[in-house]
Amino acid sequence: MSGFGATIVPLGEQAWTVVLGETVDRLLHQRVTALAGRIAGAKIPGLVEIVPAYATVTVFFEGDAEEIRRRLVALCHPERSEGAGGRHPDPERSEGEGAEPQLHTIPVRYTGPDLAFVATETGLTPEQVVERHSGREYLVYLLGFVPGFGYLGDLDPSLVLPRRATPRTRVPAGSVAIAGAQTAVYPLATPGGWHLIGATTMAMFDPAREPPALLRAGDRVRFEPMP
Amino acid sequence: MILVEKAPPFATVQDMGWLTGRAIGLPQGGAMDPLLLGRANTLVGNLPGAAGIEWALGPGVLRAGFACELTVLGAGQVLLNDEPADMAHPVWSLEPGARVAITPDPEHRFLYVAVRGGIAVPEIMGSRSTYLPGGFGGFEGRRLKAGDLLPVGPALHTRLGGLVHPRAVPDAGAAEMPIRVTRGPQWDRFDEPARRVLLESRFRISASSDRMGFRLEGPAIVPSRTATLPSEAACPGAIQIPDGGVPIVLMPDGPTVGGYPKIAVVLRADLRCLAQYLPGREVRFREAG
Repeated sequence: MSGFGATIVPLGEQAWTVVLGETVDRLLHQRVTALAGRIAGAKIPGLVEIVPAYATVTVFFEGDAEEIRRRLVALCHPERSEGAGGRHPDPERSEGEGAEPQLHTIPVRYTGPDLAFVATETGLTPEQVVERHSGREYLVYLLGFVPGFGYLGDLDPSLVLPRRATPRTRVPAGSVAIAGAQTAVYPLATPGGWHLIGATTMAMFDPAREPPALLRAGDRVRFEPMP
Repeated sequence: MILVEKAPPFATVQDMGWLTGRAIGLPQGGAMDPLLLGRANTLVGNLPGAAGIEWALGPGVLRAGFACELTVLGAGQVLLNDEPADMAHPVWSLEPGARVAITPDPEHRFLYVAVRGGIAVPEIMGSRSTYLPGGFGGFEGRRLKAGDLLPVGPALHTRLGGLVHPRAVPDAGAAEMPIRVTRGPQWDRFDEPARRVLLESRFRISASSDRMGFRLEGPAIVPSRTATLPSEAACPGAIQIPDGGVPIVLMPDGPTVGGYPKIAVVLRADLRCLAQYLPGREVRFREAG
């Protein structure tokens, strides 16, 4: 299915993925967030969950796949479905989503085992790495990999490095890491190939908390250096 | 209570997993063969989604801490107090202290133990499933070990439905049928020869397969366009093609997002069959018609 700059493809029997593009950039991500908000606001019967990512919105459902797809087609083109020239009222804050984006400040001790390596590779001093990492506000593009793991971007271009040649078999929970144009906090102790530049004691994921994940897609994050 | 007297190499508490949570990276989780767990639960009068023990890779021994009704489906042999259990009528009333020795079936990867009342570990976000990568859920977020005491919940007041005859349990392991798939989100990135490799080759289940994903050994499947894409939602059953062309079928504990193209997705009804395949076993795929 093509049209309106969106393609809808099946992900198994119980999910549709709406593809809005194939790049990682904020403008595209704004369209992803807006579409996810419109889908949530439409309260489609049978809809189980909406998973926004970099360039796609995936909708998991139970029930009639074709009916869900028709609703998605309409939502991909809100002007048509809501009257000529009509703009959707503030699509990022559609009712039902409850998704007012939040700004999180995460305290970080920049004493990670790879800080010196990152400094060497980038030709910066460790202090400059810390300054540049903590000197900007990041967008939470999506959550995935493991529960509560947010992919944050975009990193200062001078900090962009490929992943470690050999991933660590265990990265401690709370590690603050960078790779490519992304940064993240490991919510759980898992294997990982990113460069560890610091650590936080803030719980990114706590199954006993409501909500369990600190971050949501579309939120903003600042890192605050701690002595 | 059920006592784990001798733990098998790999056993966890599982139910049907988490209905939602993908948006925060929580996998679906739950039983690898939900149908078999559901049947086991039905046999002992539980709702199909009650928590039971998912058991793999070797023998072990349980002991009843009190009088209870218990069943085991998918096992090769069960000894009750050292006597072979009646596998044709596999709902056994156990006396306190009864010993249940379980040996897996060489054709099944996972067997399930259900107890009337269900394994009553605390619910985490609405499920009693164990999520090993996160170290939470189930019994202390880990595999069972000797000495663990598993709590059992209250039985339902009425027994639901009739007993399912064990022969009615669909045999996931024996059928030599191809596993059915639908076209995946990136089907168009693979040209005709690559699609034929998927649908016409014989693959084998790799030894490095687990609750997160099954790796397949066989011919490489190479996409005709740039392989990786910005990470997007994945799901259990999705067949990912990493750069090397070796397919990985995502399983219930697999990642919720991924950047590898997904050429196809295994039908839900067939994923449980695939989940029961042991390493080395041959697997073929065909497009669902």
